[in-house]
Amino acid sequence: MARKRPEGAGKVKMDMTPMIDIVFQLITFFVFTLKVIEPEGDFNINMPAGGAGASTETVMPDIKVKLRANPDGTLGALFLGQRNLGNSDDSFKQLNIEILKLIGTPGNELAKDMQVEIDADYTLHFRYVISAVGACSGRLDKRSNKVVKYIEKIKFTPPKPPAAAS
Amino acid sequence: MAKRSKMSSGDVELDMTPMIDIVFQLITFFLLVNNFEQTEADERVKLPKDSLAKPPEVKVKHEMTLNVGYLRDMDGARTNPSAFLFNFADKDMLQPLSKDTEAGLAREARIYKQQGTEPKDVTIRIRSDGDVPTGEVQQLIKLCQDQGYEKFAISARQAVE
Repeated sequence: MARKRPEGAGKVKMDMTPMIDIVFQLITFFVFTLKVIEPEGDFNINMPAGGAGASTETVMPDIKVKLRANPDGTLGALFLGQRNLGNSDDSFKQLNIEILKLIGTPGNELAKDMQVEIDADYTLHFRYVISAVGACSGRLDKRSNKVVKYIEKIKFTPPKPPAAAS
Repeated sequence: MAKRSKMSSGDVELDMTPMIDIVFQLITFFLLVNNFEQTEADERVKLPKDSLAKPPEVKVKHEMTLNVGYLRDMDGARTNPSAFLFNFADKDMLQPLSKDTEAGLAREARIYKQQGTEPKDVTIRIRSDGDVPTGEVQQLIKLCQDQGYEKFAISARQAVE
């Protein structure tokens, strides 16, 4: 004869320990797979297959930016055309100001046709080229935290390896 | 006089519900924060900083990343004067301007063509250490151009001012 269930006994007791175990396993997995990556951005550069000598679609003459290196690879001098802007961090800020003067107002139609040609010494550390590209590309508007674009077309001159020591 | 409840044998019953709530909150946090995408960014490359370096709004459809950097010790000093191309062509370290790099780029170009993508539609993303000579990066770009790649992007870390 089957036992009668006691009245009012509708509750089912669940043991939560296995659930907590599994959940802690999940947390451990996520903690070990978490990878904190610094945000990165890209600057597009214009390098057609024909090299620097290839004809580009720009109507305006290229804006020439030259970076000269010291023997240890640090920046020796930054030139915009023939004008020497120095070799400090402020030189790139000055380059940014001069580029703005050249384009007039950001986003105008003429600026879209302008192109910057960067001529950097072979041994120059690449960080200075990034700074030059950034200075020519635009500026960050601190109020809106958006990028104000100056010149979008940037290209490099062909590399000139240092002459082999005789 | 207040009645004292019977003393049990010493067992204390803990209510586990709040602990489960907190643990689920932690799982939700990690689920939302974690990025399972396989990024090709090699941690050994110390990218230069720039305030304009912002993640692209629209992801590029076809992209190949080249990581160029130096082997460094815990203090950040270089342990080898030569730059290396990390994690490319099934090798962890290559000389950036070597025949192996050329062969690797040619192989990738063939694979793209087999998949119906022209190399000129593939963006080569160059993540270069700030101390790498510019000329080496330019020659790497030239090697890529020789294989038909035409679109290039150079990466920088976001500088927080």
